[in-house]
Amino acid sequence: MSTTRNIRVDYIARTEGDGAFDVLIDSNGIVKKASWNVWEPPRFFEAFLIGRKAEEIPEFVQRICGICPHSHHIASLRAIERAMDVKVSNQTVLLRELLHYSDWIMSHSLHIYYLAAPDFLGYESVIAMAGNSDLLPIVENALKIKRLGNDMIVVLSGQEIQNKTSVIGGFTSVPSVTDLRKLQDQLKKMKEFAYDTVKLTNTLASQSPYKDLSRRCEHVALQDVGKYAINEGRLVSTMGLDVPEWDYPKYMIEKHVPECNCKHSIIKDRDSFLVGPLARVNLNFNTLSIDAQKAAKEIGFTTPCYNPFMSIVARSIELVHAIDASIALIDEIGTPVFERPRFSYKAGKSFAATEAPRGTCCHGGQIDKYGVVKKWDIVAPTARNVYNLNKDFEEFIPKLLDLSDEDLTLKCEVMIRNYDPCQSCATHSLKVRLQRE
Amino acid sequence: MGKPKVAFFKLSSCAGCQLTALNIEPILLDVLGVVDITYFVMAKRENHGGPYDIGFVEGAVTSPRELEELKKIREECSVVVAMGTCACFGGIPSIKNFCGMTQKEVEAKVYTELWDIKSMPVYGIDYYIDVDYYLRGCPIDKNEYLILIKSLLKGINPLFRFHSVCNECILKENVCLLIHKKKACMGSVTASGCGALCPSLGRECEGCRGPASDCNAESLAEVFMKDIGLSKADVARKFLKYAGNTPEFSKGVGHYEHY
Repeated sequence: MSTTRNIRVDYIARTEGDGAFDVLIDSNGIVKKASWNVWEPPRFFEAFLIGRKAEEIPEFVQRICGICPHSHHIASLRAIERAMDVKVSNQTVLLRELLHYSDWIMSHSLHIYYLAAPDFLGYESVIAMAGNSDLLPIVENALKIKRLGNDMIVVLSGQEIQNKTSVIGGFTSVPSVTDLRKLQDQLKKMKEFAYDTVKLTNTLASQSPYKDLSRRCEHVALQDVGKYAINEGRLVSTMGLDVPEWDYPKYMIEKHVPECNCKHSIIKDRDSFLVGPLARVNLNFNTLSIDAQKAAKEIGFTTPCYNPFMSIVARSIELVHAIDASIALIDEIGTPVFERPRFSYKAGKSFAATEAPRGTCCHGGQIDKYGVVKKWDIVAPTARNVYNLNKDFEEFIPKLLDLSDEDLTLKCEVMIRNYDPCQSCATHSLKVRLQRE
Repeated sequence: MGKPKVAFFKLSSCAGCQLTALNIEPILLDVLGVVDITYFVMAKRENHGGPYDIGFVEGAVTSPRELEELKKIREECSVVVAMGTCACFGGIPSIKNFCGMTQKEVEAKVYTELWDIKSMPVYGIDYYIDVDYYLRGCPIDKNEYLILIKSLLKGINPLFRFHSVCNECILKENVCLLIHKKKACMGSVTASGCGALCPSLGRECEGCRGPASDCNAESLAEVFMKDIGLSKADVARKFLKYAGNTPEFSKGVGHYEHY
């Protein structure tokens, strides 16, 4: 006897943007179809950037995403600077790193506490969590740590969301040493909470059924020399990829999939791959801050870890690292001095990548001698992960068929949220539609 | 009266304005105490249908499906707020309206298989529906957002004055970027409310809040060409950015149809 069950969820809540997912399970419990469908038209950044000036690109592309603007911004800045042969000072390099770590602190705490934790704790939202007096202290600290990330961004770039000060060649204004020291004090105060976050998320992700679900796939991330990669590095993977970041178009291939506005990504001559915190922690564990490594070891986290539900733990480990790295960067920056950003137009072509909170973010293109953009390529991390997410579904759903429709739908949502998807980046739309024949 | 039911809707956008609505941590829990957020997909799993008292709409309309959604939003919300520059004027995605390519050409630049892609020129939401209040800016200004919420709770009109950014620059005693630094600053034609954020940080105003109430775009375009040395195409790019759809800013472009 075959049973037919249809489950339809119009929006996946607590992700950035909204989308659709179709799952079709036949009567033998085999997943016939698992595809992430994006209905909403994209905003065509790659098209309308053509004909704009080089200095406008970083201003525009950060507006791809309100949650990880700086990842897009810095990747495009570096690609343009490499194409036009613009050199930046060491202070600019350090300030950009600090800016990006601020974004990590904001985005990681937003994801862990606002978006993901309610799943594991059985609440519909962080707002509902705040209604429980036992959880209220955690929610209050979560608000504080996210605020800290925001405060850092405000000090460095003027406003929480879109950057106002960072331009080709440097910064139009630099923060005062007093403001940086104040942030440093705050960072030191919040570190303990970040440390506890690792333990908390590990407890959550170690629940059944999550703890037994793992799937081996290629993990890809940037790798820097002597430090945890965030703004630059070589592209490496758990299956031996090791190429300069500007060669990404040769090795990370995109293909258009019918019925989906979001392109699917594979590694050349191989298959789907994963980018994001789990891939980074797996590939770059030794360059995490000492305390981040200690926090990981205390909970028994071992690399390589192929359980996507452990992504939230990897994100927490990175939260500790981001705080440590920011504290060290503020020391290294010392008293920032204003340096007038300078550049001149030059014809050129280049590509660059950064590590966005949710994975490797790639930008690049071609500029003519008048500074007019001829071609621009953008591949956001969520676009990289879509195909891999589909494979997670194919692997995990058959193992969860005993669950009720309601519970299975929630577990599907958790699988999606593992990737901290940013669907404005990948273009929009995510709907879960579960069909059982 | 019970707590007003508030909904947050997202059309084509970056979610930055919704995030700004959450970026009020010190008083977030207080705000949640006075309004009932019944629909906010990015923040909650349990979202309820309309009618709503206040609907914040983020993003621009770029597809027929979104247009249907927008019309439904208008029917369900007593008050509709255009939240952010994309919803107010079309914002950054509206640049594609002026890039000199047809809709199909734009699509073909990004995708190889076009049969299932349905996109249309990008406009702000008041091109299609009546809008009660506007929160300008890319992203919105937090304080304006709170002023609007407080005003709506009290049943009074929020007092937003859209004089030019220059007014706020003068109050801050900033050195003029246009006159003294010869930077192509859009402050004199752009609506204030941001506290002259960019010019105060040494960055020229890019016009993200759209035209000021006394916008004289033709005059600024002339200054850009004569004093700053911008080409006609550069001037067109300046005005065809966040609010190129507005008649005020399109005057700055002159006879140049696109850059």
